[in-house]
Amino acid sequence: MSADIDTLLPYETGGDIRRRIAGSLAGFALRGGSLLAFAALLVFFSVAAPFFFTLGNIGNVLGQSAILGVLAIGLTIVIIGGGANVVKGGIDLSLAANLGLSAAVYATIISAGYGDAVAVAGALATGALIGAINAAAVVVFGIVPLLATLAVMNVVAGLELVLTQNTVVSASSDLLSFLSAYGPFDIPVLAYVLTGFTAIAAAIVQFTPLGLRLYAVGAFPEAARAAGLPVKRIVAGSYIASGLCGGLAGILSVSYLSGSTTGAGEMLLPVVVTALLSVVFSRRLVPTIGGTLLSTLLVGFLTNGFQLLNISSTLVSGIQGVLILLVVAATSLQRGKGAV
Amino acid sequence: MSEIRDSGPAIGRRNLLKASLAAGATLAAANAGLFASTGSAAADEEIPSLKGKRIAISATGTDHHFDLTAYNAQIDEVKKLGGEPIAVDAQRNDTKLVSQLQTLIAQRPDALVQLLGTLTVVDPWLKRAKDAKIPVFTIDVGTPNSLNNTTSDNWRIGSDLALQLVSDIGGAGNIVVFNGFYGVVPCAIRYDQLKAVIKYYPEVKIIEPELRDVIPNTVQDAFSQITAILNKYPEKGSIKAIWSAWDIPQLGATQALVAAGRTEISTYGVDGSPEVLQLVRDPNSPAAGNAAQQPEEIGRTAIRNVARYLAGQKLPRETYVPALIANKKNIDEVTKTLRLG
Repeated sequence: MSADIDTLLPYETGGDIRRRIAGSLAGFALRGGSLLAFAALLVFFSVAAPFFFTLGNIGNVLGQSAILGVLAIGLTIVIIGGGANVVKGGIDLSLAANLGLSAAVYATIISAGYGDAVAVAGALATGALIGAINAAAVVVFGIVPLLATLAVMNVVAGLELVLTQNTVVSASSDLLSFLSAYGPFDIPVLAYVLTGFTAIAAAIVQFTPLGLRLYAVGAFPEAARAAGLPVKRIVAGSYIASGLCGGLAGILSVSYLSGSTTGAGEMLLPVVVTALLSVVFSRRLVPTIGGTLLSTLLVGFLTNGFQLLNISSTLVSGIQGVLILLVVAATSLQRGKGAV
Repeated sequence: MSEIRDSGPAIGRRNLLKASLAAGATLAAANAGLFASTGSAAADEEIPSLKGKRIAISATGTDHHFDLTAYNAQIDEVKKLGGEPIAVDAQRNDTKLVSQLQTLIAQRPDALVQLLGTLTVVDPWLKRAKDAKIPVFTIDVGTPNSLNNTTSDNWRIGSDLALQLVSDIGGAGNIVVFNGFYGVVPCAIRYDQLKAVIKYYPEVKIIEPELRDVIPNTVQDAFSQITAILNKYPEKGSIKAIWSAWDIPQLGATQALVAAGRTEISTYGVDGSPEVLQLVRDPNSPAAGNAAQQPEEIGRTAIRNVARYLAGQKLPRETYVPALIANKKNIDEVTKTLRLG
């Protein structure tokens, strides 16, 4: 979060100062507006459904958001390191499939009679390996991330089918019961996991030299290379970090669902949307870890609030879609103003 | 399992057995008896009111005729009895399902009704609801954590459908089986009953590996899996029948048989989805048997059980709602009897 990155952002390279001012005003309105909208949403739900604003419910939402949050943070790291261009920039489409395979590996190892230590190692190694393959495809072979990770996604999803025969593999262990239980203040342990994980990821990405280099590489790779940064290594590292997030999310998912189940692939779009939405919660409209946490929680609170208000479940996805469209449209509008 | 079976109401049980084993003439007579008994039972009894009660209805999904009909019937019945339904649908996403159960439990409803779901996924949360002193009811989920499970008699459905299949193929031949949802209790029971029946018909063989039906894209997936297996067994007579624990794979399988011109193979499934019953009615379609359930009655019964329980009445462990095996001969009578027409 330092000022010199700001000057590298493509949308500020336009010459016309007045347009720039208009752009940053729109940006300010959007940033302020999105936080305001989030706050208004919370207030609205709290008034309309008194149960909404209770520690127990907020804890539940945090816990329910843990899997999505960890995946979205992984994707955010890739987007920061690869640049935010949706077509050519950094993206990891294999994350949801990674979650599925890592969860399947974890559940299979547990049901084969091994302990948590082996299962955790297996799941994280699976995630890291998927990340390494993505990294090799993008950095060594120079394949566009969108296509590289799409291909890896299919391979990984196929492996999950081979491993589980497309069935539910149930699993129970001490670690899993601990993760799915409730901790201090009757708040789910997963809520603490999400909070702790976000804090660590945010500390590394936003407040260390490594994080600063990650932003530099993503925003202006040529300049970063000229400045002597190991661009390829940093980009590769972002994919491996993302893969590890997939492995971790896999473990959380096994604890949440008491096993590995099919349909992990359905997480893909929510993950992408959440990571992309994160920009509206940052000061300079760049993806940040904190912003990703906020957008994860936005989706979580929306679902929760709708359920508490007893709004027909058939309406929920529609309303969510409209809200996402509004935010993305506002962001694009603001970006467009800045760039032209 | 037999104790649970026997503890349910014995409505027309003997009649049902006879009805579904035989076709045609016996069926009509047996059904008359069956409906006389259920009809009078419903008329005699006053259903207690649910006034002021918040009833949580948690559906695993509503993308299938059975789910949607049972789900809507529950909501309507809660409203009819003066209660307030809190109805949520997880759209066949297990993560969503667990989140919705978690939130429902936190909302402390007067009762919770879970419609379907993979047992290992939902059960820990039903237990949590039970531990939180919320009365838990289920539809098609057999678990000690629910006070009452409203369901079709899946043991009967499973064995009757299997007997129909075995009898249709003359007690010998290869059959293809979809077994993708063994984790869902009713599907597991139906599958186990199929195995139990064919154990005594050693010339009936299940082709290995068994197929896995999937959600979503069930029809397309079943179509392509069956097309592939037909290519592997190109000779007529090398496959006699296709079995699935519900009827959407049956739909895809039937379409694949028609497309490949292999209509000598018969298909069997469960649920009584209107589009499949339509195929059973068609004399040229390979759809030979379908266990027609009464999802509307099942949903309504589950809510009435909630009302009875909250009014202090005692409930049986399981409440069975009649289902009948529809085949080419009795299809008209079955649809009329079950009012599916």
